[in-house]
Amino acid sequence: MQIATQVFGIIQFIYLIISFAASFHHFVEIPEEKKMALSSQARTLSQTKSKSRSYLARSQERWGYLFLSPWIIGFLVFTLIPILGTMYFSLTNYSPVTPDQTKFLGFDNYKTMLTDAKVTKSLLVTMNYAILSIPISFIVGLGLAVLVNSKNLAGKNFFRTMFYMPFMIPVVAGALVWSGVMNTQSGWLNLMLESIGIKGPDWLNDPQWIYVALVLIGLWGLGNLMLTLLAGMQGVPTELYEAATIDGANGWHKFMQITLPMISPVIFYNMTLMLIGAFKYFDLAYVLKNGTGQPADATLFYNLNLYKNAFTYNLMGYGSALAWVLFLIVLALTILLFKTANMWVYYGGEGKS
Amino acid sequence: MRKLMLILSVLMVASMLLTACGAPAATPAPVDEAPVNEAPATEAPAETEAPAAGEPIEIRWFIGLGAGGNPEEVEKEQAFVDEFNAKYGDKYILVMDVVQNATAYDVLKTQIASGDVPDIVGPVGVRGLWSFEGAWMDLAPYVESTGYDVSDFNPALIDFYKLGPQGQVGLPFAIYPSALWYNKDLFDEAGIAYPPHKYDEKYADGGDWDFAKLREIAMQLTFDENGNAPDSADFDPEKITQFGYDAMWTDIRGKWTFFEAGSFVGPDGSAVMPDVWREAAHWYYDGMWKDYFIPNDNYVNSDLLAQQNTFSSGNVAMTPIHTWYTCCAGEVNWDLAAIPSYDGHTTAKMHADTFAILKGNENADAAFEVLTIMLGDMAPQLLEVYGAFPARQSLQDSALEKMQGNFPNADLQVFIDGINYPDNPNHESGMPNFLKASDTYTAFAGLIQTTPDLDLDAEIDKLVTDLDAVFKEQE
Repeated sequence: MQIATQVFGIIQFIYLIISFAASFHHFVEIPEEKKMALSSQARTLSQTKSKSRSYLARSQERWGYLFLSPWIIGFLVFTLIPILGTMYFSLTNYSPVTPDQTKFLGFDNYKTMLTDAKVTKSLLVTMNYAILSIPISFIVGLGLAVLVNSKNLAGKNFFRTMFYMPFMIPVVAGALVWSGVMNTQSGWLNLMLESIGIKGPDWLNDPQWIYVALVLIGLWGLGNLMLTLLAGMQGVPTELYEAATIDGANGWHKFMQITLPMISPVIFYNMTLMLIGAFKYFDLAYVLKNGTGQPADATLFYNLNLYKNAFTYNLMGYGSALAWVLFLIVLALTILLFKTANMWVYYGGEGKS
Repeated sequence: MRKLMLILSVLMVASMLLTACGAPAATPAPVDEAPVNEAPATEAPAETEAPAAGEPIEIRWFIGLGAGGNPEEVEKEQAFVDEFNAKYGDKYILVMDVVQNATAYDVLKTQIASGDVPDIVGPVGVRGLWSFEGAWMDLAPYVESTGYDVSDFNPALIDFYKLGPQGQVGLPFAIYPSALWYNKDLFDEAGIAYPPHKYDEKYADGGDWDFAKLREIAMQLTFDENGNAPDSADFDPEKITQFGYDAMWTDIRGKWTFFEAGSFVGPDGSAVMPDVWREAAHWYYDGMWKDYFIPNDNYVNSDLLAQQNTFSSGNVAMTPIHTWYTCCAGEVNWDLAAIPSYDGHTTAKMHADTFAILKGNENADAAFEVLTIMLGDMAPQLLEVYGAFPARQSLQDSALEKMQGNFPNADLQVFIDGINYPDNPNHESGMPNFLKASDTYTAFAGLIQTTPDLDLDAEIDKLVTDLDAVFKEQE
């Protein structure tokens, strides 16, 4: 299998090189006879009122599908078929350890979810976290973007780089570092607070402070949000600000009446991603608390509960049902967000509707 | 050009399909209780066709659920496999499939689910066996039909591997008795007498060697950064720099079983809390949050205590743990003492490893015969790989002699004496809905290790209720 992977990689590389070259006509030599035949066909095509597509069009379509086939196969094998598989598993008691004992249960797994206290708890934990983290993350990200967009900030590039860099650090590595930083005995965060006379909380073991800890760690990785908002801000036409200045607007007015509406599509994009991200939340909670959901189920996010059922308890059928319900919840919330977009997202030139 | 593109496209599609149908990728795995050195993951060998008559049968040996993943062990395992194949290669070819412990559980699940079932799995302990409940082959019919001789094993060890209705899923291979490891330097600095090495021996002051005495000397060995002991008015529990005791790298069943063996499963299958375990829970809780001689979760995870390998930090005076900890004690000047008694009972909990055969493998008869060779004729070589102590009574004396050569300053006889006090039922024994039940009491352990001022009895009662609900889910 290693050999197949390497062969695949080499072939794909060659394929891409040649495809790239073939996309430029002057790199591809078409025989003269072929060129004339193609021209003749093209004339015939334009002159003929044929209901069926020409050989050329069909040929081009086949080539198109052939070039698309790797993606199509990958999509089928790694995405669509597994998704359909989980739909089937969600109707059974499938366990990977005893696949021969699989039984069809109908919708029993979905009924069980309605009375499973852990599911309710995990949904509440996820929503609590989303309600806390999304606004705070957005405000801080926006603040950073405004800061690094400011004319008065020296060393803008340096700050942009420093704020973005944590985003590049893998989540697991970051979580391990932060678990050391937030240790009440040897972590420098509490040592720093102690040096100014404040007794630091038990960040990772207190059911209330754990959310603050997770939000703080999340703020560390706001570089991407900052960057997209910054790009949006830099796309706002300067004439608008000049006109506002002439009309006597101050900085706050310009920010509220020009900047925010003009970057509202970017805000909307980020809000959608943050909402989906909140419901997908898993890595940090898993690494920080070893997948236990501690303290007192305060980090038992929906995805973590799903993982525990599917991979720790080997209840893959039930885990699949949880996955489908998560999909429906996220879909519903995303549709809701899109519906509200008409009220506050401003696409320039269209006016607010 | 067109032909070339067509050929390349076909080759690429074929390669994609071949790759997609290859060995499944491992998914994130849960963190194990005891840290294990990791080895690079290897690819599972390709499936083989059934051999023609007379050809040797390939037996795939999956390693990773327990020990066996670190590079030194992998090298020795390969040497073992080479020796096996040289000796028995006309009948069997043994092929090993080593996976890092952190991902081994998920990799094995994936292999079972995909039908790519290895033949032999091991070394694996009782917990590992219960984690794959329903997947193991019952060896009892094979033991009976082949007349396999079990007289060299302690009958209690044979029972270790009877997993309820699943039957006899393993045969004894290695045992890892426990003892009380103590840091001689810390005792010397404090001027405190060492604990007794012999079971039923009194402590130096003439008193019984029990958990009350252990608590007493543990408190004398606990200090804050200013050298104050817990009974001093100036003692600062936020600034402790040395602890007297930590039952490390085990769960609450493991900790409480030192007081007396027990089980969360009552005779009628419902959840219970044995009285002794309730007392043990109070002893540990008070030790953490009132007497401060046991580190709480924050201390255990801190740099002061080497981030969970607390005894090796040199800042914990005593820990009850098994023979396998010889891997990880670091530079500590250690020796071994008897596990203290509680209320007249002495329990030195036992770990035991076995090798088991998975259901659904293609060569059950051959796998069993290979298993008997690994645990019989070639047991000494296999034990050497893991530094394990033999379950076979006939091999124990020579094994002790060899081990003593590696640790000349330690009284390893304490381990041997501890074999007479195994925990029965074992602290890793099965429960209904085992994985979820384990998760439930692990959550309880997390609570008591991080939260002072709890109403412990109320929390214990809640644990019993929660466990009962989990047990009944499987009915």
